Amino acid sequence: MFDLIIRNGLIVDGTGAPAYTADIAVRDGRIARIGRGIGEAKQMIDAGGKVVAPGFIDPHTHFDAQLLWDGHAKPALTHGVTTIVPGNCSLSLAPLKEKHRMKLVGMFNQIEEMPFKAFKEGVEWNWETMDEYLQRIGKGLAINVALLVGHSVLRLWVMEDAAMQRTATDAEIAQMQDLLRECLDAGAAGMSTSFVDMDETLQPVPSRFANAAELDALTAVLGEYGRMLQIVPEFYDPDLTIARVDQLAELSLKYGIPTTFSPLFVNGENVNGVARVMARVDEQFARGARVWPQVQTRPIDISFSFAVPSLLFIRLRSWYQIMRFGSHDDIVAAFSDAERRKALVADASSLNALWSRLVLRQVNSDANLPLVGKTLEEIAALRGTTLVDAMIDLSLEEDLDAHFLAANMGHNDDARVSELLKHPLVHVGASDGGAHILSFSTYGDTGYLLGHFVRETQSIGLEAAIKKITSDTAAIWGIVDRGQLRPGYIADIAIFAADTIDRGAEYYVQDVPGEGSRYVRDSVGMDTVVVGGEISWSAANGYTDAQRGEVLFRT
Amino acid sequence: MKPSASGIRRSIFARDDDTWSSIAARELAGTTTPADTDLSGTVEQLQSWNMHVFMRPAAPADSPRAGNPILPSDVIFLEPPLGSAS
Repeated sequence: MFDLIIRNGLIVDGTGAPAYTADIAVRDGRIARIGRGIGEAKQMIDAGGKVVAPGFIDPHTHFDAQLLWDGHAKPALTHGVTTIVPGNCSLSLAPLKEKHRMKLVGMFNQIEEMPFKAFKEGVEWNWETMDEYLQRIGKGLAINVALLVGHSVLRLWVMEDAAMQRTATDAEIAQMQDLLRECLDAGAAGMSTSFVDMDETLQPVPSRFANAAELDALTAVLGEYGRMLQIVPEFYDPDLTIARVDQLAELSLKYGIPTTFSPLFVNGENVNGVARVMARVDEQFARGARVWPQVQTRPIDISFSFAVPSLLFIRLRSWYQIMRFGSHDDIVAAFSDAERRKALVADASSLNALWSRLVLRQVNSDANLPLVGKTLEEIAALRGTTLVDAMIDLSLEEDLDAHFLAANMGHNDDARVSELLKHPLVHVGASDGGAHILSFSTYGDTGYLLGHFVRETQSIGLEAAIKKITSDTAAIWGIVDRGQLRPGYIADIAIFAADTIDRGAEYYVQDVPGEGSRYVRDSVGMDTVVVGGEISWSAANGYTDAQRGEVLFRT
Repeated sequence: MKPSASGIRRSIFARDDDTWSSIAARELAGTTTPADTDLSGTVEQLQSWNMHVFMRPAAPADSPRAGNPILPSDVIFLEPPLGSAS
């Protein structure tokens, strides 16, 4: 008697092999048999007409905080994602001394747009070490977690405020090495660093004050464990990205580790640049290095209101200063003062091409409801005003709670994106799940891959797409016994309808601690998600009480 | 850096206390006009090849790196973008 049998599903096993119809039997959390007529089980799932695939692995997320109040990482699980990698971009929530908590909250707020209030009301701060943090989130996990430790956090622990001012001494580097070993021993999947991000004071994050020798020394520790180094390169510049590819390649070869960089976007302006980056990646792989570029599937959409700071305005210093450091009343005052408003409008007019494409997506007042769905250009014309003035007026009328959408900002050329996604060395990821919650939904990228690129444009086959987000990802990260449907492997399984699988429409929901809201997308076409042999979510019954998620790399 | 068939811009990693002048003196001295003895022209050229650093706000006054925008993790290009005029 098995624990679970999934009958008559179209098995896409994650290896890229052609799909076939069979039953899958699960016992003690692992796949016991695959075949036809394989017996009886305590629980049966009829998967007739549906695809049965390994659970998806999302290698670039920031669920670090959310996992403290939500062991499902909602709604990632409902999209078939059974393993997530938080701790990217040099930021993790451990190791973290008590006195550094607010500093890290500030960085998470600035870089990942996680609200202060969510940390204040959703987090019970009862850990400092990586081991303590992993113990904390490990209770009640319904999804698997492979956590990176952030380089900025290591620096903060060892160097205190000097982490944001200078290079480390040899003694401090040695302390960071020991601390990294402690984290890896506790179960960290690797380390992340950033060459781009800014902290809450708009100064570079601590990792950017590290010299090459420090990164080399820390990577040597990763080499002792064979674990991943993730970086955020200067992705806006192909030459800089190529320099980072070379840097990663040298570290990969020297210490025998996998490395990955994210993101890599393609659009009409940088086609040649991306081609050069990928040519360099090819060359470095040919040398034996492992430098995996991460590419997201979805186009870039950004929503914002003036109630919270948006990275969309970071190029407009005068605006961003007010949004970032000003209170609600400060922003209203700036918009209401004729002289200050005039200066802001003048500054912002340099981006009129962007403002004209904005769509008003949400308001609270009945008076403005008829304008929802119109572009700012249409609204400005109706009101006989400028684009920026229309944006300011609407925001004042809505007490700053008017929401605007900048859709299809880039990475939206299907042919070019699919060509990149199909490249054998491209690592499908970079969802940013759990981050930027007030700018866009970071959930449903796998549904978009399967619905848009597999079914609608048919630019990649189902088996190949599934392989990309399961066994390829597991192999890249050294995740054992997951990512394939084969006897002996852990039963992380996604069951979905190939003819409807997709991501749902983006919507705004208040489900963040501290009465916070976020943009999310529900799954479409996903039927059942199994983690560690137990049903964690189904379209019919929603989330279950199963808590079979594990912290990977933790022994 | 290993030479590449795909054409890679020559670059270095900044050293701990590097400034525009120290990089220009160490890496580019004598590569511009012979009359450029005070390196000012070389510094300007270096800055023009590294707008990602040059356009960055310098470290605040209370920082040990006050006035210097170069970070120890920076990639500094020693030549202009390939295919462009220097």
